[in-house]
Amino acid sequence: MSEQTATETEAETEAPDGVVSHLEEAGRLTTQPRAERGINLPRLGSLGMLRWMWRQLTSMRIALILLFLLSLAAIPGSLLPQREIDPAKVDQFFIAHPGWAPFLDRLELFDVFESVWFGAIYTLLFISLVGCIVPRSFAHFKAMRAAPVAAPRNLRRLPVHASFTTAASADDALAAARARLRKRRFRTSAGSGAGGRWISAEKGYLRESGNLLFHLSLVGLLIAVAIGHFFGFKGAVLVTQGSGFSDTVAGYDSLTMGQLVGPSDLPPFQISLNNFSATYETAEAQYGAPRTFNAYVTYKSTPTSKAANDDLQVNEPITVNGTRIYLESHGYAPVVTVRDGKGDVVFDGPVVFLEQNAMFTSSGAIKAPDAQPQGLGFQGFFLPDEAQLDGSMPFSDFPAADHPMLILNAYAGNLNMNGGEDQNVYTLDTSQMKQLQLKSPNAPAGDANAMMLNLHQTQKLPNGLGSITFDGVDQWVQFNTAYDPGQSMALVCAVLAILGLIGSLGIRRRRIWVRVTARPDGTALVEVAGLARTEGATPTAEVTATAETLAQRLGVTDPAEADKEAQTERDAQTEQSEEIDQDADEADAQPTATTARINNDEQTDEQTDDALAGRPTE
Amino acid sequence: MPIDSTLANDSNIFIVLALVAYAIAFIAYCAEWAFGSKDPAQRVAAAVGSSVRVVTQSRGAVKASAITVTVNGAPDEPSGGGVTVLTRTAPESEEPTVAGDSIRAEVMGRFAVMATLIGFGFHAGGVLLRGLAAHRVPWANMYEFSCAAALAMAAAYVVLLAVRRGSARWLGLPVSFVVLVTLGLAYTVLYAPAEELVPALNSYWLYIHVTAAMISTGAYGVASVATALYLVKLAVEEGKLRRLAPSLGRLPSSVALDRMAYRVIAFIFPLWTFAVIAGAIWAEKAWGRYWGWDPKETWSFIVWVVYAAYLHARATHGWKGKAAAWIALVAFACVLFNYFVVNTLLAGQHSYAGL
Ligand code: HEM
Repeated sequence: MSEQTATETEAETEAPDGVVSHLEEAGRLTTQPRAERGINLPRLGSLGMLRWMWRQLTSMRIALILLFLLSLAAIPGSLLPQREIDPAKVDQFFIAHPGWAPFLDRLELFDVFESVWFGAIYTLLFISLVGCIVPRSFAHFKAMRAAPVAAPRNLRRLPVHASFTTAASADDALAAARARLRKRRFRTSAGSGAGGRWISAEKGYLRESGNLLFHLSLVGLLIAVAIGHFFGFKGAVLVTQGSGFSDTVAGYDSLTMGQLVGPSDLPPFQISLNNFSATYETAEAQYGAPRTFNAYVTYKSTPTSKAANDDLQVNEPITVNGTRIYLESHGYAPVVTVRDGKGDVVFDGPVVFLEQNAMFTSSGAIKAPDAQPQGLGFQGFFLPDEAQLDGSMPFSDFPAADHPMLILNAYAGNLNMNGGEDQNVYTLDTSQMKQLQLKSPNAPAGDANAMMLNLHQTQKLPNGLGSITFDGVDQWVQFNTAYDPGQSMALVCAVLAILGLIGSLGIRRRRIWVRVTARPDGTALVEVAGLARTEGATPTAEVTATAETLAQRLGVTDPAEADKEAQTERDAQTEQSEEIDQDADEADAQPTATTARINNDEQTDEQTDDALAGRPTE
Repeated sequence: MPIDSTLANDSNIFIVLALVAYAIAFIAYCAEWAFGSKDPAQRVAAAVGSSVRVVTQSRGAVKASAITVTVNGAPDEPSGGGVTVLTRTAPESEEPTVAGDSIRAEVMGRFAVMATLIGFGFHAGGVLLRGLAAHRVPWANMYEFSCAAALAMAAAYVVLLAVRRGSARWLGLPVSFVVLVTLGLAYTVLYAPAEELVPALNSYWLYIHVTAAMISTGAYGVASVATALYLVKLAVEEGKLRRLAPSLGRLPSSVALDRMAYRVIAFIFPLWTFAVIAGAIWAEKAWGRYWGWDPKETWSFIVWVVYAAYLHARATHGWKGKAAAWIALVAFACVLFNYFVVNTLLAGQHSYAGL
């Protein structure tokens, strides 16, 4: 407790009189660790060292520093592309900055929130938090059950003090005081000392309860996040109109599973897309901006359960067998038929094209590797609402499929689809293919080799290689699935954290004492005094009202006496003021000293308050 | 529903009128400062800060009173039933005022408050009409959010004026300046015509989340003004900035400024916490995860952590006062960064809010 001693000494020298030398922990209104001044050197010995380290770690100063580090550490996560959020952007960054990207990568700067150092900071912070909050909780629990502390000997030293004399008996006075304070929802205790009997009252315990609840909720929140991380999964799957998806690892386009989830843990639901509809702004301002999206789906929680229908919208996910399903994005899948040189249908169906711009110009590839005599491939664009200015390339003018068109280049040869590596379905590997010379009559300007197909048009390929027909337009949507078993716990903890915070920052903690002292003339002096620990919350109104209520209830005698009392009061105060007066003068001469003095005054006040509040009467 | 362009036009007119009124208020606040008395006694009182006030406590007596109430350290003040009150820290009435005892300055100050209130009325009307025109909350893009955040800031000032019965008028000059600049920038640089919402924004969480974020932003702004003034006033009290001392002396004491800043932050921090959590709930509904370290989320988290650090600093020896105040300013810098830089440069999932 050497730090404590330091505090005391300082307090003693600052205090106007010797009151503070009776400093005692019991009187503090907060269980906040006091020993925060200066880092003392550790005593020798490894146990002592450990103790010292633990005390440092759980100190407010270290908590503060860790909070800073946490916010600093988060910054690169917002400035650099993150794999977790957008791996493609990280790849682009590597291409753009080949020099230092690998270096940044070694520092885990593309995985900030999964990085060792970010983890270290929050782990330390939470250890510090637990180390700080658990002892505080015990202390607070004890304080809640203990009786409010005994009245200090000299109530006049408290920040607010009221007094009057009455002819009523001490018993009546105390009973009235207790009743009044109880009614104001103070907890009370009684005792005697310093020449009289007293009632001690305290309220606002919920402030500390709130503070503890808040910090404990943060721990709960961290646990909830961890649960989601280890036991959850999220996936993405593209589904075209009229087809479906079952929740298996193979069914997904991409799937991230927590460390403790296996393929067999995926809930066996099924979902199919019956229809997708989108509407767009047609007014000039924001022409083409999306207005509504609806994905009409049918789903089954398990392969054997009854099918249900629902309408999935943005911001309106559905929950199937514990898994949330979201409408993430959508696009077009032109339906085509490809015939080969022998006239056989070698491809037939919708092909997913990916959106390239707000008007849904989309790109994709159509592949018929088994066509005879040569494999066939097509690559190009889909325009939902084709428009053309004189002689230019056609472009899409609106996102809805009002005048759809396919613009394709055709290739023949080996599509290289057994090449081992996963092939991108949206692009064609033309390394072993030859582009076909189409000489199409309606080829777009600038690209004589491209064909432009309107709906239901067919383009014959040269050299009797076959043909392609544009049969129709389907839509696809991407569903994201997410399962996070920590989610409800996170929500509960977040709500508790807010409630705790409101209590912690909104409730004022205060103590009131009433002392009744018998006077020689048979009357009784009633004193009421108060103290607050919340900044600037001296319970003046509470003390004044209590005194007034009691005076009314008990009756007041001999105002002259009271005046005399007030006079002694003022005398006592004057001493103090003179002292401070001097300070003020000094301050004029040496302004820098003033603030120090003011601050010290404040601290001294606190110390004095504590001392006063805590010191039991002899 | 289509946009009602008449209402949208009216909204613009109201915003312009608000700008004019705020500009007049700003000039009047400046005049109040300029005309304010430079009474030397006041200068001393201000310069010495809280110490000097304790001296006054022995003044006044309790006549014909049965009850004596002593609140250590302040002038006697009769309360109901002849009760006398003394306080250790000065009550607000003891704080210096900008006008001092200059009548001209006082008139200017009151006029400025009137102009502020009129500006606030037009401003609120403008924001409301914008919402009515678009049939939704009027804070879905940066122009609207800026107007609304400036409104929140003006509202925080008006509330403080009401709660403290006018003794928050010293905030008028800086607040009217910041509101004027924010609103002016919004109208000239960020302006975007009223539009309907894209589906991604079309959720009642837009009301809940963004409203809370906006009110917090406005209140943090006022708190930062008070914090900055606290630092300046503290410097004056420490004998620095001697040339500015005569006019800055008319600010409330550093203790009062600090307390005001703290109270606003302590009041608004739970709301900001709520705004972040509401955002997380919305993110879960919209994107399938409640937290994904998107730049907006990251910076909201940073803002939250730095304000938590501020609250911690106030409870940590050696960090109270000046250090804590700087943390509060850093926190507000993060608020501004989160708004201006993140919205414009760091595209994330939040980026469709539109410029
Ligand atoms: C996850 C990190 C933390 C956050 C976000 C956080 C946040 C907060 C907030 C917002 C307050 C303000 C409530 C009030 O003033 O009553 C507070 C108070 C407090 N915190 Fe933390 N805290 C964290 C970690 C810690 C740690 C590690 C400790 C212990 C070393 C700690 C100890 C305290 C104490 C003692 C108070 C009360 C201060 C007072 O009495 O005014 N906190 N915290």
